[in-house]
Amino acid sequence: MALDYATLELLRQNHPAWRLLCAHHAPLVAGFLHRVFIVPNVRNLPQADLVEALEDELFALREQLGDEAFPGSAQSYLNDWAENDKGWLRKFYPAGTDEPHFDLTPATEKALVWLEGLTERAFVGTESRLLTLFELLRQMSEGSQTDPQVRIAELHKRRSDIDAEIARILAGDIPLLDDTGLKDRFQQFLQLARELLTDFREVEHNFRTLDRRVRERIALWDGSKGALLEEIMGERDAIADSDQGKSFRAFWDFLMSQSRQEELSRLLEQVLSLPPILAMCPESRLQRVHYDWLEAGEHTQRTVAKLSEQLRRFLDDQAWLENRRIMDILHSIENNALAVREAVPSGGFTTLSETSATVELPLERPLYRPPLKTLITEMALDEGDADVDTAALYAQVVVDRAELTRNIRQELQGRSQISLAEVVTRHPLRHGLAELVAYLQLAGEWPETVVDDEVQEKVSWQLGTGVMRQATLPRIILLRN
Amino acid sequence: MMNVADTNPGYFAKPLHELSSVLVPLLKGVLYREDNPGLWGLLQKLQASVRDYVAVLGLELMLDEAEGYAFLRSRRDDEEDAPVAIPRLVARRQLSYPVSLLLALLRKKLAEFDAGGGDTRLILSRDEVVELVRIFLPAGSNEVKLIDQVDATLNKIAELGFIRRLRGQGQMIEVRRIIKAFVDAQWLADFDKRLAEYRQQIAEPPEETDV
Repeated sequence: MALDYATLELLRQNHPAWRLLCAHHAPLVAGFLHRVFIVPNVRNLPQADLVEALEDELFALREQLGDEAFPGSAQSYLNDWAENDKGWLRKFYPAGTDEPHFDLTPATEKALVWLEGLTERAFVGTESRLLTLFELLRQMSEGSQTDPQVRIAELHKRRSDIDAEIARILAGDIPLLDDTGLKDRFQQFLQLARELLTDFREVEHNFRTLDRRVRERIALWDGSKGALLEEIMGERDAIADSDQGKSFRAFWDFLMSQSRQEELSRLLEQVLSLPPILAMCPESRLQRVHYDWLEAGEHTQRTVAKLSEQLRRFLDDQAWLENRRIMDILHSIENNALAVREAVPSGGFTTLSETSATVELPLERPLYRPPLKTLITEMALDEGDADVDTAALYAQVVVDRAELTRNIRQELQGRSQISLAEVVTRHPLRHGLAELVAYLQLAGEWPETVVDDEVQEKVSWQLGTGVMRQATLPRIILLRN
Repeated sequence: MMNVADTNPGYFAKPLHELSSVLVPLLKGVLYREDNPGLWGLLQKLQASVRDYVAVLGLELMLDEAEGYAFLRSRRDDEEDAPVAIPRLVARRQLSYPVSLLLALLRKKLAEFDAGGGDTRLILSRDEVVELVRIFLPAGSNEVKLIDQVDATLNKIAELGFIRRLRGQGQMIEVRRIIKAFVDAQWLADFDKRLAEYRQQIAEPPEETDV
């Protein structure tokens, strides 16, 4: 890419990463997103969790900088950052949940990586990178060599090198890497391991772009139907057959084998226990970096599978042709609807089949019952003068449902299910029955619950007077979404 | 046409309770794979028996593997030579003009959304829906009234089962993909025809048919 004035000007206006660096609140945005997404290697967060984390962050900042810093609410900031004119977060609805989720956009990640790179490194290893480059060149030249003679000659040469090395070790001369060599390689390993994790978001983003491009091309098709069908057939595996798709698949197949993962674990453990490496104080997460890769890879894998499936569905020729026809008809409908908008038709205008059969059996109807007569005793109401303590009327408690929801979520972070009684045991009731009822209400709205009438559970709480109360209810199990 | 009495009902060959556990929910409404994968699997297994059974009731099974939904529909009465017209088990419901129009617009939105790629769930805020219908209503309508009207229309459509309101997300709706099966090209073409006729009626003075 040429970095001339016009290109850069465009980039500064349009690229989310640069916009982030220019933003007035850049330290807040970058710091917060780095903390919640990059550090724990998370790829999607429910809105409620993210809002909560941001509220805490804003609260801490306002403590330091005064109340007028950051006037917006956490929710409004998040929505703003996900808007197209910012493009720092991707907001989406995963299948099976009504809550929006967020993930970083690749651009944000680039900005964050660049910011991380601003701190100076103690030393810059060059040797290991030269070796890596050399190795890559060798792979390419060998991998493209078709002449068997040349390849065999190369293998012979390597065999004699290995033989020589074996002879040296047998003779008691073991060449070792010195500390500098180790540090140099470790630094490169760190950098590549991080970059690999970072790349996954971009890989996913590329897949999405690919998908969109195929759809656009099909949607704007104006050739013949036959040619279109041919085109569609050709595009069915567009995603899997792209360079991006093939490269990702190769990576995935390599990493997925059990023996490779064991080998990676073993090597990591051994390397991380070397004294010179220990002296560099690597993060403890490194021990499990290949699991992070797996997780990120799996996420990408799922995205790709979903995109491929959707693309196939979209390209299903019948559905596709129907869609085109629908667009034509709708054009005409809109045209007509505009013409009649000052006098819209009233009453029933169209008919549509219901989605269910109407089965009404005569015997299902309830028999006639004489209505109950309510007897009203007539008596005049007098104003009472009893001296009642009205304090109870003013001592209303408010149960914070959001807090209860957080309690349940918090418990479900560490496991996939929990019974309501356990939640209450871990978060004792402070408002007694009212709070328990609120919990039951939440359980009723919880996306996935199991109620086991066979098992009775007891819940107890203490009243302000010190009396213990106990309630018995069927076991209600809340599952993680 | 085959006489119903001659068909060999294969649906008694299967354990009856299995068949019942699929048929009853189907008669009561749309079956979604994501809501109940177990039941969906059973339906796939018993598909042939279900088809035989509902045919007796004058219904046919519509099962969309790709979209993951199934429902029953009255058989299109192509065979007018049927001795007696069977009363319809699946009722047809009258829809007002605003409901019809919004259904059509939501269907359009879904088609555009599918062409955009990326996601299968079309989720709109009420404000977006208001913007969708605004230009088709008399100019200068009162904003509050307009929003109330859109809300009422959305409630009707939710009742029909084509949208659902998202839990805990104020004013967000999801357009359910089942709308594709009902608001199809045929229905839209009928709606368009009716609308064109109506436009003719109210056009004053009555003009010659224009193209």
